[in-house]
Amino acid sequence: MVKFTADELRRIMDYKHNIRNMSVIAHVDHGKSTLTDSLVAAAGIIAQEVAGDVRMTDTRADEAERGITIKSTGISLYYEMTDESLKSFTGARDGNEYLINLIDSPGHVDFSSEVTAALRITDGALVVVDCIEGVCVQTETVLRQALGERIRPVLTVNKMDRCFLELQVDGEEAYQTFSRVIENANVIMATYEDPLLGDVQVYPEKGTVAFSAGLHGWAFTLTNFAKMYASKFGVVESKMMERLWGENFFDPATRKWSGKNTGSPTCKRGFVQFCYEPIKQIIATCMNDQKDKLWPMLAKLGVSMKNDEKELMGKPLMKRVMQTWLPASTALLEMMIFHLPSPHTAQRYRVENLYEGPLDDQYANAIRNCDPNGPLMLYVSKMIPASDKGRFFAFGRVFAGKVSTGMKVRIMGPNYIPGEKKDLYTKSVQRTVIWMGKRQETVEDVPCGNTVAMVGLDQFITKNATLTNEKEVDAHPIRAMKFSVSPVVRVAVQCKVASDLPKLVEGLKRLAKSDPMVVCTMEESGEHIVAGAGELHLEICLKDLQDDFMGGAEIIKSDPVVSFRETVCDRSTRTVMSKSPNKHNRLYMEARPMEEGLAEAIDDGRIGPRDDPKIRSKILAEEFGWDKDLAKKIWAFGPETTGPNMVVDMCKGVQYLNEIKDSVVAGFQWASKEGPLAEENMRGICFEVCDVVLHSDAIHRGGGQVIPTARRVIYASQITAKPRLLEPVYMVEIQAPEGALGGIYSVLNQKRGHVFEEMQRPGTPLYNIKAYLPVVESFGFSSQLRAATSGQAFPQCVFDHWEMMSSDPLEPGTQASVLVADIRKRKGLKEAMTPLSEFEDKL
Amino acid sequence: MELEFESKYEINRTAEFIISKSFTRIALQFPDELLKDSTKVVSALKSKTRLLTDREVRFFVMADTTYGSCCIDEVGALHIDSECVVHYGQTCLSPTSVLPAFFVFGKASINVSSCVKHLIDYASKSDKPIMILYGLEYAHVIPQIREELGLSKTDSQLSVANVLCSFISPSKDPRESMEHPRPYSESDSSDSLSSSRSYRLGGLTWDLPEGSKIEDYLLFWIGSDSSAFANVVLTFNGCDIVRYDAEEDSLVTEFYQQRRILKRRYYLVEKAKDANIIGILVGTLGVAGYLHMIHHMQALISAAGKKSYILAMGRPNPAKLANFPECDVFIYISCAQTALLDSKEFMSPVITPFEANLAFSRGSEWTGAYLMHFQDVINSVKSESEAHIGSEEPRFSFFQGGYVEDHKTNDQAKNGEEDTGETMTLVQAAEKALQLRGNDHNSLTKQTAAKSGPEYFLNRVYRGLEINSENTLPEPYIVGRSGKASGYKHE
Repeated sequence: MVKFTADELRRIMDYKHNIRNMSVIAHVDHGKSTLTDSLVAAAGIIAQEVAGDVRMTDTRADEAERGITIKSTGISLYYEMTDESLKSFTGARDGNEYLINLIDSPGHVDFSSEVTAALRITDGALVVVDCIEGVCVQTETVLRQALGERIRPVLTVNKMDRCFLELQVDGEEAYQTFSRVIENANVIMATYEDPLLGDVQVYPEKGTVAFSAGLHGWAFTLTNFAKMYASKFGVVESKMMERLWGENFFDPATRKWSGKNTGSPTCKRGFVQFCYEPIKQIIATCMNDQKDKLWPMLAKLGVSMKNDEKELMGKPLMKRVMQTWLPASTALLEMMIFHLPSPHTAQRYRVENLYEGPLDDQYANAIRNCDPNGPLMLYVSKMIPASDKGRFFAFGRVFAGKVSTGMKVRIMGPNYIPGEKKDLYTKSVQRTVIWMGKRQETVEDVPCGNTVAMVGLDQFITKNATLTNEKEVDAHPIRAMKFSVSPVVRVAVQCKVASDLPKLVEGLKRLAKSDPMVVCTMEESGEHIVAGAGELHLEICLKDLQDDFMGGAEIIKSDPVVSFRETVCDRSTRTVMSKSPNKHNRLYMEARPMEEGLAEAIDDGRIGPRDDPKIRSKILAEEFGWDKDLAKKIWAFGPETTGPNMVVDMCKGVQYLNEIKDSVVAGFQWASKEGPLAEENMRGICFEVCDVVLHSDAIHRGGGQVIPTARRVIYASQITAKPRLLEPVYMVEIQAPEGALGGIYSVLNQKRGHVFEEMQRPGTPLYNIKAYLPVVESFGFSSQLRAATSGQAFPQCVFDHWEMMSSDPLEPGTQASVLVADIRKRKGLKEAMTPLSEFEDKL
Repeated sequence: MELEFESKYEINRTAEFIISKSFTRIALQFPDELLKDSTKVVSALKSKTRLLTDREVRFFVMADTTYGSCCIDEVGALHIDSECVVHYGQTCLSPTSVLPAFFVFGKASINVSSCVKHLIDYASKSDKPIMILYGLEYAHVIPQIREELGLSKTDSQLSVANVLCSFISPSKDPRESMEHPRPYSESDSSDSLSSSRSYRLGGLTWDLPEGSKIEDYLLFWIGSDSSAFANVVLTFNGCDIVRYDAEEDSLVTEFYQQRRILKRRYYLVEKAKDANIIGILVGTLGVAGYLHMIHHMQALISAAGKKSYILAMGRPNPAKLANFPECDVFIYISCAQTALLDSKEFMSPVITPFEANLAFSRGSEWTGAYLMHFQDVINSVKSESEAHIGSEEPRFSFFQGGYVEDHKTNDQAKNGEEDTGETMTLVQAAEKALQLRGNDHNSLTKQTAAKSGPEYFLNRVYRGLEINSENTLPEPYIVGRSGKASGYKHE
């Protein structure tokens, strides 16, 4: 039975000091959803007994089936804390009631865009780490993202039960493992330190680290034990906490604390003596059904069991006992309430990251102060499919003001530019909704600091948007989210029955909404393309598309298609020339590869068309060795005016040159989008305009003459500069025991992958392998790997870089030329590349 | 030799036609490949007509037409004040608006028995009824084929399309003239429509019995892989189609490439939806209803809140269109057979009026149906516009991956005056021009996509003559280049 009502929940929403917005983040399979269950159970939404098995936040059938989280799910939880437990809380609070808006996020790297969306609307993060596996790739990735968004983390070392039951490690060894895990996490956090956020590292002795067993629903922080022992030793709690961690040893024989192990057999580390051993003992007693010994022990700890619970045997007994003694919710909630910031605190420093406009305007101030009476500032971070097919809730966070049912809001889309009308709509919110477990409850309004779902806006928001009051025309939008993965795997989809096309179009539109990362586009050949971060991501997307968004209409999907890039690996062998259709104008050009790292710098936006030319030329001169004057002569970036290719003017004293600049740039944008090899985008090519001869009569050097010529000369210069294909490459991280290494290597070898790092995890039998793997080869990689290692290895693939394929696509029979022919065939182009003679003209 | 020539150019029939209508000034229109025979045709016709009448009949040869050579060049013919046009060679049989026209299709050679054998072989393998369509150059052998097949008119398994007619005369009422002329044989039974559906395409017409759909038929095309055939493939994309190539004497059943065209057209429609500025290319001055179509397109575009410019341009090519880089898409208004341009080489796509209809009227969807003729397009709009209810949802663009609001300038358009729109844009543009733009003329960004021509030009780096205020002295006299563009003298 739910222990609280929507009204209660709504009431606490006004106490901005008593709200915690937090996300649960971790590597895949470290137990986020399971742990979340215990929290949900404590709020009374699901029964305590089944907590850990239900995976409450995995609401989709396929999530339950695969046992992984795919979509991030938000839940609002209400807790009433006792005065006792809050007595040492020094922060601002209004009463004892707390509202926790919790978002469970997926751990698989393919869905990390969901994590990004979750982080944006929360202020704190519960980082879950498997105590045995330790800090993994995805842990690092999500931590980095969290800190980038100025999210304060707390850590829980999870799966403690494995230590006691499965591995039966002794106290000191366990301590070493835990402390290494915490240290590893702290190393990452220290790298991304941010002065405004302060010290973000976690310390068990400060209560920012918990130890939990999500599956069994228990957890503790050192606070729990410190409270218990403080009176016994007659010291204050904080002092006791320090003694329970680190180099503090206690010898029960002498009843003395010391800074190092005295060597006496009874001398043990504080943590082992007072935390680990008691738990171990209780668990062992329960598991062995030594009830006669158990009850007195429990009585001593002040734990009382109900009569029917006393009947339980073995594991269920242990679970119940531990849940009663050290309930996960209490420990974790305390940790969150004490150590994670309230919206009021968090928005003070997050406003810089969030708001795009000037930081001293009224909107920035309203966000900074989390002002419920200020103008509405709301960020919609994702769209959640609603139960009525095809509709979506707009889910987001109110940063300032209040959003209410029936309110008219200004919707600023991602392409909105203040002062313009593009991507801007004014619509009214039909209903405001909050989530309570699986139920949605309509509430009148939602004030700032809370998460909210809105009905009736889905037709105007694709993926995310900033909402504000109708009249606030000066407001700037909240900054768009930056994703850590990119959609590199693509499939073409078409419907089985041609007349289903409208359904497919509608379905793709909905799919694009439902997922922050998926991209639905179209190829020149008229095929619809769905692009996702990885194989698994795409699989889920296509399943959603067919079952949920198209009402079961069947679709045919092509094999995964990988997009390539075209580049050059040398300077053009000669200056090439092309003549305009009327033969009266000539363009001379050369192509050369860009300096190493320059293309990436353009990708990252460090160098781009919007920069101040002075800064741009400074970076180019200092980092890439460009001539200072030359840097000022960049005509354009492309494709799409921002891409990683350039045209540079190298002409000297040519008449009318500025007249044709626009035309050359137009031709360049066109050409760099469709290279001459396989009409893929170009990448990392710098085109130098060496000379031009123009007709003296303006009418004969218009766009019609110059644009097609510029395109041809660009093609010709690329072909003469040793053109190459670039293929996308994943970085794969695999964790496996030593025995599986052989299998991993052989699969990687088959797939053209190469290992560049192999490391044993200290203190574990596990190895960490990092390798590069071409994306083309990655299809089916996961399953092959599992087969070759009998399920012991599980890869995580993230797009890493573009790699040049060494073979020459112009030489028939090479791997690259076969590839080019394939791409051309798929795109419906002539199979043979257009020869150079079509592009280059002779005098 | 002489006989063959006469029959190929149908000298007798032409002469009889001229005499019967008592025309005295005749324009003869030749496509480039038949131009070499033009003098012979003229002298043959002259001698023929002289035998039949004592009035003097004058002939004029027209070549190198401005627009597609398949259409009647009425404007050209009117220059010489002719009363009638005789058209030779490949034609689209598009209805004319002013002058009567007489068509000579020419006669391509074909092995009739082999063709029939292929047809029968194929028919035996398929259980669908077969509809035989053909290129007009093979029209002369159709009676022969009918005979060999032993067809009666009522046979439902095999039917043959009829040629519309070889003579078109414009109707007085411009609305009516857009209707296709009735074929000779059925000209008196125009109400037969009620019982059966009739189809017309590329000069052919055929009726289907009530209750059957064209999708149930197998289309058998006799002729080359011409644009007429491409039209058939596009229009009846739901049908099985087989082509008999008369020159190769073989059957072609694989039309992968043609099917791709349809998907490519679909892509172009989606692309056109994102366009802000549209160029209307007037590629015909002859096809009946073209003016109506232009007005219709203008209305459609302004209703969609976009800007249109009209350009008269025969035979568009990349260089011509690239002179208008501000246009995001072009609509090519021309006869059905020249309308489909593969715009791969063009900087902006070129679409047909039908596709423009799909792209610019909200709520209409690509269903796979494809229409080529003006009349069909306008009719389809009429039926659609009533069904279309303005949904509030903005349009989803596959290229921008999100919602795109099409700016409604409806109120402007409703005021009727095209000029107000024009002046408004200029005023707005001028306002923007006066804004302080920062002096970073080296900024490489293009501002948001331009909504009109003036706005586009404001974004250009070069905007005309650059007056160098520091240097007021006249430039010294410089000797320019001399020689030919392929290599100037100093090179």
